Amino acid sequence: MPEIRVTPLGAGQDVGRSCILVSIAGKNVMLDCGMHMGYNDDRRFPDFSYITRNGRLTDFLDCVIIRWRRAALAPGERLGLGRAGAPASPTPGAGGWLPHLPGCCRRPWQLTVTQERTRGLVPPGNKATDTWPWGAALPRSLGRSRPPCSIHSGTWLCRWPCDLGTLSTYTLPAPTGMTACSEQALLPPALRLCLRRAPAPAVRRRSLSPVPARRELTHFHLDHCGALPYFSEMVGYDGPIYMTHPTQAICPILLEDYRKIAVDKKGEANFFTSQMIKDCMKKVVAVHLHQTVQVDDELEIKAYYAGHVLGAAMFQIKVGSESVVYTVSGEPVGGGEVGGEAPSSSSSLQGDYNMTPDRHLGAAWIDRCRPNLLITESTYATTIRDSKRCRERDFLKKVHETVERGGKVLIPVFALGRAQELCILLETFWERMNLKAPIYFSTGLTEKANHYYKLFITWTNQKIRKTFVQRNMFEFKHIKAFDRAFADNPGPMTQQPTGRTDSGPPPQVVFATPGMLHAGQSLQIFRKWAGNERNMVKAPLPPRVIMPGYCVQGTVGHKILSGQRKLEMEGRQVLEVKMQVEYMSFSAHADAKGIMQLVGQAEPENVLLVHGEAKKMEFLRQKIEQEFRVSCYMPANGETVVLPTSPSIPVGISLGLLKREMAQGLLPDAKKPRLLHGTLVMKDGSFRLVSSEQALKELGLAEHQLRFTCRVHLRDPRKEQDTAARVCSHLRSVLKDHCVQHLPDGSVTVESILVQAATHSEDPGTKVLLVSWTYQDEELGSYLTALLKKGLPQAPS
Amino acid sequence: ASPPLPRALILPRAALARPGGGAWGEPRPARGPAPAGGRARSSREHAPDARAQARAAVAMDPAEDWLVDSLRLYRDFHAFGLPGATRVLEWAGDTGVFVAGYGSPGKNEILHLTPPLRLSAKENQGLFPERDFKVCHGGFSDRPVFDLKHVPDTRLLVTSGLPGPYLQVWQFGEDSDVVRAASTIAVPEEAEGLWPRLAIFPGAAPAVLHGARLSGLRIVDLQSQKTTFTSGTGDSEALSSLQALDADSFAFCCASGRLGLVDTRRQWAPSECRRPSAAQGAGGGQWCAEVGGQGSGPHVASLCSDGQLRLHDPRDLCHPMSTVQCLVPVPSPKPELLRVTWAPSLDSCLAVSGFDGTIQVYDVSSWGGAGSQAEPLFTHKGHIFLDGYGLGAAPLVTTHTWHPQRPRTLLSAASDASLHVWDWVGPAASC
Repeated sequence: MPEIRVTPLGAGQDVGRSCILVSIAGKNVMLDCGMHMGYNDDRRFPDFSYITRNGRLTDFLDCVIIRWRRAALAPGERLGLGRAGAPASPTPGAGGWLPHLPGCCRRPWQLTVTQERTRGLVPPGNKATDTWPWGAALPRSLGRSRPPCSIHSGTWLCRWPCDLGTLSTYTLPAPTGMTACSEQALLPPALRLCLRRAPAPAVRRRSLSPVPARRELTHFHLDHCGALPYFSEMVGYDGPIYMTHPTQAICPILLEDYRKIAVDKKGEANFFTSQMIKDCMKKVVAVHLHQTVQVDDELEIKAYYAGHVLGAAMFQIKVGSESVVYTVSGEPVGGGEVGGEAPSSSSSLQGDYNMTPDRHLGAAWIDRCRPNLLITESTYATTIRDSKRCRERDFLKKVHETVERGGKVLIPVFALGRAQELCILLETFWERMNLKAPIYFSTGLTEKANHYYKLFITWTNQKIRKTFVQRNMFEFKHIKAFDRAFADNPGPMTQQPTGRTDSGPPPQVVFATPGMLHAGQSLQIFRKWAGNERNMVKAPLPPRVIMPGYCVQGTVGHKILSGQRKLEMEGRQVLEVKMQVEYMSFSAHADAKGIMQLVGQAEPENVLLVHGEAKKMEFLRQKIEQEFRVSCYMPANGETVVLPTSPSIPVGISLGLLKREMAQGLLPDAKKPRLLHGTLVMKDGSFRLVSSEQALKELGLAEHQLRFTCRVHLRDPRKEQDTAARVCSHLRSVLKDHCVQHLPDGSVTVESILVQAATHSEDPGTKVLLVSWTYQDEELGSYLTALLKKGLPQAPS
Repeated sequence: ASPPLPRALILPRAALARPGGGAWGEPRPARGPAPAGGRARSSREHAPDARAQARAAVAMDPAEDWLVDSLRLYRDFHAFGLPGATRVLEWAGDTGVFVAGYGSPGKNEILHLTPPLRLSAKENQGLFPERDFKVCHGGFSDRPVFDLKHVPDTRLLVTSGLPGPYLQVWQFGEDSDVVRAASTIAVPEEAEGLWPRLAIFPGAAPAVLHGARLSGLRIVDLQSQKTTFTSGTGDSEALSSLQALDADSFAFCCASGRLGLVDTRRQWAPSECRRPSAAQGAGGGQWCAEVGGQGSGPHVASLCSDGQLRLHDPRDLCHPMSTVQCLVPVPSPKPELLRVTWAPSLDSCLAVSGFDGTIQVYDVSSWGGAGSQAEPLFTHKGHIFLDGYGLGAAPLVTTHTWHPQRPRTLLSAASDASLHVWDWVGPAASC
């Protein structure tokens, strides 16, 4: 019986240390290779001896797939921040899967504009062909497609079908010397944009400021990949390891950080080395989204974009007609709080906008792939989420309240994603409420915000687009670039509401990076405001800091969120926090509804839940079984779930057989099953259904005839001929459609069936009927025998 | 010469000339941040209809307006989507609340939810980002759940519904997240189309009071399933609400408006008001009632599907102390969903729902005798506006309940399976 076997080595009725073995149609796949953060001994890694005790793992595994839990890097924050430990925030437009990573773009890309130029576009030099380099920011697959492109005041906006399977929008910095066009102009198709690799790495990549390492920050990413070097280098595995590009880029950094702590700080021996991490990463094969990878002749895997609700990719593993989909719902991980969310998830701009407005998470994020098994995480299955509108309302309320009473608001954010979303929210709110208090955007954010804002145009609804055309304005009206001096005193020269002149610091709202208050401008401002008594005395309200996302342990952000009011800064300085601290989580992880929708959309035959405690999954399990009428499993670690499958086997039918079938006159009816007789020939790994004559001929066999015989005893004192006559007339009366003959030799035939009567050798009162039929008439023969066994009707005397 | 257009008609059109878009996008030059005062609010809330019409005329989204107003009106406001609409919001202590579906047979979920941590936080509320309900127990009921009661200090629930003359007892586990059917309590009386109302007598030997009609009223011990009290009356009037008052007494309200207090230690001899006299204008609507209220004054409130609200002194049920007409569309489209509840920690406040998509909170302290119209202290319109319904297709509020501790916090559910938690800004807090 073919079957799929699933054994969690980690994450079975358990949280952390994700590692699941899947055996499908003879192929063995390991999903994730994570570690458990809670342990420092052997238990932190999955027990690979389950796979084999002494052999190389390569012999037992066909491939390893590492799934990433909602984490991605933004262009400005790529490895610099990653190394610093702050998981960077993702990029707009791509749901966190922009391959803005060194791994996939070692050489810069160039945009070449050929043919004519259009109104509003004046490339430098006015040549027919100009090239703009813009650094390492484009995915590999771009070279193949020609994106439709539009230009907004000096910024290029390109949309093309990329890895995400949907149109994605990228902002490309305009090359210097290009005149900004005053209007949004869509380029006619005549303008062709070609993306090519630059001939030489001529473009200097944006330098990344080194930030002191803060290692503990990265830890919680490791529960999907932490055990990888241990698994591949120390236990021994040489097969392929598949991950998506962002994962491939982040993974070694995380592992190295982790190694440093374990070895350098804690002094652990027998730990994997840097070289092992490098060797391990060499075995990694990076996968594009929606790219099907043929692992071998039969096994193929495909990464899907899991939508901004699930926040990450999911993998489909397929062998023949059998398949398994593995997905993990997103989690508010680090800077990834903005995670895989599309930029459009702000319902403040809701409308027909994006595929998934807040109320309708139902937009499909997986096709109806009908896998045999769907493996999904149940971490958030018990949540019923507050609506996004209420979250936004709360945010506006807090900001408005403070500003109205003359207070200041600091909002630490990451450079891209949530920041712009909140800005747009505030901007429109300010406009509507006619507020005057300035909103500042810390340097670096402004530029990106502009891009981001423009990105919205292609995504947002008609109404908003029109507004921008009409106002001819892409810049925020109320949001200004932040100057460091503003934070000091006494405030910028702006109009202030209600005659509050020099009596105190003016109300203002400041967005500053980074989002966890661990460095940079946000921390600077925080330090100035947090301890500044003057603020306290003169302003009616202490300043407020609103943390719109998750903060990792160890950061100032985390400390104030856990209620600390006295912070030890460097130099033994103690900072007393007098600000009001607000924590607002905007993360959009999947809740119970999301998981149910995922199951409903994928239509799996079975569901398997991981990453959850058994006693918290039981209700979900029952719910899935009731609602979708599928089996739902939640195995413990080391426990194997066996799913029998019925893979379909293709069989070719010979033309001759079909023709003969057709000759019988009846046209095939799609709705009715029809019986077809033939001979199955299994030869050279192929299956064919042919007529028996053809099969005999092909195989050089002679035809045999198969007959069944059976004796039926009848009480009948009369002569044999009389008995035969009675049998004949009885059969004639019953089998009206068949040709019943009484042969001269006394035997009776019905089609190929022969009935002969003889007197019993010992009891003359009993007649023995010998019934014989061929294999082809089996049905009639059985019927006839059963009929005769009931006896003959009383003869009319 | 034609009269000049009212100002309200001009302004939005000017706004249209600059399409603002977005939920917050419409500029409102006429109004700055309005002061949040009780007086200002009530005058605004009943603003001339011309303005509302004008707004509708330029297809402005009233939901957006409401959302902006809500900044001022509510301290906290959370909205959730349940798997199914509920008629039940039953607190289990103050740490959990039960909801239960009443939809098609076979697919009704009974959920034990823990409210967001934010709600129960005493201080530093801002530090609790958790705004989500968590499902801590869940179960499936074959039949729609019309009433559900938690037995205090136990892990037992009792539900009532149709079809079938029985009550279902449920148990939710300590070591599992499943609510399991434990036993049933047979209901002997025949009651076509009526389902037994429920009330729980807590204590060492908890008992359930149930009955669809006066004649079928009985108290059954939950453990032994023995009947400890029967009304013994032949009166077959249909009940609408039951409420246990202390260990030996309960109150009932019949659909006709008949109110009564019963001492279970004695023979059936309720102190009651047989029928609201015709002079008081009882027009044959359906009634419900609740005993409660704090401090001095009337403690029994009864509400009719024609919008009439009465307050009674429990010692003299026959003569209502005040009778007012609520500002609601009447009659209620579904009188079974009428709810009147006393605020547990606000003096003389009660909440009313079941007429439309709103919940109204009234302050009864100033009510006089008879006949007057009552102005609500606050009206929650979130169920109409938050999910972007037009005014026509708004859902019907199915039930509401007060938070046991937080004075101005209510939970409300509507027929679109929405569940709102809101904390309106009271006059004291708005200074």
